[in-house]
Amino acid sequence: MGVKLLLEKAHVQGIRSYEVYRREGGYRSVEKALKTMGPEAIVEEVKKSGLRGRGGAGFPAGMKWSFIAKPEGVPRHLVCNADESEPGTFKDRYLMENIPHLLIEGLIVASFALGSNDTYIYIRGEYAWIVDILEQAIGEAKANGFLGKNILGTGFDCEIHVQRGAGAYICGEETALIESLEGKRGNPRIKPPFPAVQGVWMRPTVVNNVETLSAVVPIINLGGEEYAKIGVGKSTGTKLISACGNINKPGVYEIDMTISVEEFIYSDEYCGGIAKGKRLKACVPGGSSVPILPANLLLKTAKGETRYMNYESLSDGGFATGSMMGSGGFIVLDEDQCVVKHTYTFARFYRHESCGQCSPCREGTGWMEKLLLRLEKGQGKSSDIDLLWDIQRKIEGNTICPLGDAAAWPVAAAIRHFRDEFEWHVSHPEEAQKRNFGLAHYADPIHIPVG
Amino acid sequence: MSKFSETQLAEVKRLVARYPEGKQKSALLPVLHLAQDSFGGWLSTETMDYVAELLNITPIEVYEVATFYSMYNLKPVGKYLFEVCQTGPCMLLGSDDIVAYIGEKLGIKPGETTADGLFTLKTVECLGACGYAPMMQLGKHYREHLTKEKVDAIIAECTKNAAANN
Repeated sequence: MGVKLLLEKAHVQGIRSYEVYRREGGYRSVEKALKTMGPEAIVEEVKKSGLRGRGGAGFPAGMKWSFIAKPEGVPRHLVCNADESEPGTFKDRYLMENIPHLLIEGLIVASFALGSNDTYIYIRGEYAWIVDILEQAIGEAKANGFLGKNILGTGFDCEIHVQRGAGAYICGEETALIESLEGKRGNPRIKPPFPAVQGVWMRPTVVNNVETLSAVVPIINLGGEEYAKIGVGKSTGTKLISACGNINKPGVYEIDMTISVEEFIYSDEYCGGIAKGKRLKACVPGGSSVPILPANLLLKTAKGETRYMNYESLSDGGFATGSMMGSGGFIVLDEDQCVVKHTYTFARFYRHESCGQCSPCREGTGWMEKLLLRLEKGQGKSSDIDLLWDIQRKIEGNTICPLGDAAAWPVAAAIRHFRDEFEWHVSHPEEAQKRNFGLAHYADPIHIPVG
Repeated sequence: MSKFSETQLAEVKRLVARYPEGKQKSALLPVLHLAQDSFGGWLSTETMDYVAELLNITPIEVYEVATFYSMYNLKPVGKYLFEVCQTGPCMLLGSDDIVAYIGEKLGIKPGETTADGLFTLKTVECLGACGYAPMMQLGKHYREHLTKEKVDAIIAECTKNAAANN
C-alpha cells in the first residue's frame, strides 16, 4: 500500500460530518496555520512542498500563490475550480462527495495565506447534489468557528460561497471560469493581465483545483519538506487518478507517483487488469486532452525503460512517443475498441465545448468531428487522414486558450500511433463496421498481472 | 407570466448578497437555475426578461448566457429529462446501446419528447462519471452503471411517480 494523504480517512464511517472529521484530526492545519504561521510562511511551505496544480497543467502551486498582486485597499479572492469536466476525470467529485471537509479545510488555510475574505467554489452545474454536501460542510465549519468572523480569534474573516456552473467544459479554464463567475458566457480572456493581477471583478485572484487545495492540508500538517519527500523528482506528494474504461476495477486511486503504469493497470490494488480477460490495446493516461498511447509505448518508454505514473515519466519522449499526466483521468481501451471511433467522440466533445471565440478552434473542431465520423463510418478517403492532420496542426497554438490544443492533441496522437487503423477503415469500409483492426499490432504482449 | 414566490425572491436576495456591491450580475447563473427549476424546466423569453429585470441587467445579457450553457433548456422538455452521456469512456462501455434502447422503449430520438410530455431523451457530453459508466443524469442526480434492466426500472419508476402526482 502506498502513502495516502488525501483519501486516508475518506472511508471512515460518517467522515462527511464535522464531528467525525474533527475527531479524526481534521482542521488541525487551520489551527497550525492561522495561529502559528503567517501568510508568507504558508506560501513558503507550499513552495517547498513542490505541489503542482492538480487540474491538468501541473503549474507549481506555491509559485502561483506568490504572484498574487497586493494593491492597497483592493480585496483579493481565492476561487476553487471544481468545474471538473475533462473526459475520464472524476477525482474531484470523489473528494467532495466523500470527504468534503478536507477541501473546506484546505480552502480556509489557502484563503488566509492569500488574504481572501470571500472565497468561491465554482462547481460544474451537473454536480448539483454535491453543492448540498459542500454547503452542509461549510455550515458546520462556520458553526464551529472555522469560518465567519474572527476565525479562532485571529481577526481573520472568511466566507466560502458555492457557485454552480451550468454546463460548459470551457469554464474549467481559469479565465473562462472567472467570466462565468461574473455571470457571463465562459469566454476565456486574453492574458495578460493574469488573474493574479486582474481576476474576478478585476481584483487579484488565484484559481486552484479541488485536489490542489485539498493537498494544502497535509502540506501544512507535515511541513513542505516532508511532503516533498513523498513521490519522485518534481512529482512530489500524492496524486489522485480516476481510472475508467475497460478495466476490472474502475475508480479513484491515490498513488504516490513511484509506481509503474504496468502495476497500476494490472495490480489488484488498483485497476485489477483488463476486464473480461481481454488484452490492453491503448490508453489515454491523463484525461481526453492528452495523447493516446498504444500498449507498448504506455508500459515502456521508447528507450525500453519502465514507464511510471508521474509527471516526468508519462511525458518521457514528448508527444512523439509519450503523453502527459494531465488531470489524472486514466482511460483504458481493450483490444476490441476502435481508436477511430474513440477519437471521434473526443472530437465531437471539443466541437460541442468550443466557446467559439477563435476561428481555428470554432471551425477546426467541427471539421475534425465531421472527418472522423466519415472515416469511422467507412465513408472516408485516404486524403481525409492527411486533411485531419493538417487541420489539427492549424488549431494548435493558434487560439486564446488551451482548448484548441486540447482538441488537436488527441487527434494528432491517434493518427501518429494508429495511422494504419485509419487507413484500414478506408480500405475495408464494410468490415470496419463489424470488427476492430490492429489487434496483433497494438495489443499488450505482457498481459500476465504483475506481483 | 410566472413570478418568483416570496421565498424564492429571498433566495435571489441571498444569492446576490454573496458578491460585491454592484456585481449582482454574478448571480445570473444560479438565478437562471432557480428560474428553470421553478417555471417548468425551461427558460422562456418572458422568464429571461423577468430575470434581467430582477438583476437590473439588460435582457441580452441574460440571453447570451442562457444560450451558451448546455444545462439551460430554451424550449419545453418532458417532465423527466434523460441526459445520457456519450463521450469516450461511456462509449467504451456501451452508451450507444443505452441511447438506442431508451429511444426504442420510448419511441423517440435524441432531442425529442414523448407525445404525453413525460420523457425527453438528450445525449450529453462527459458528466464526470466515467468510472461508473454508462450513465445518465435524471434531475439532480446521476444514474450509473446503466443496463437495459436498469433503464426499464427507471422508466417504470418515472411513470409510476407521474401517475401518483396526477
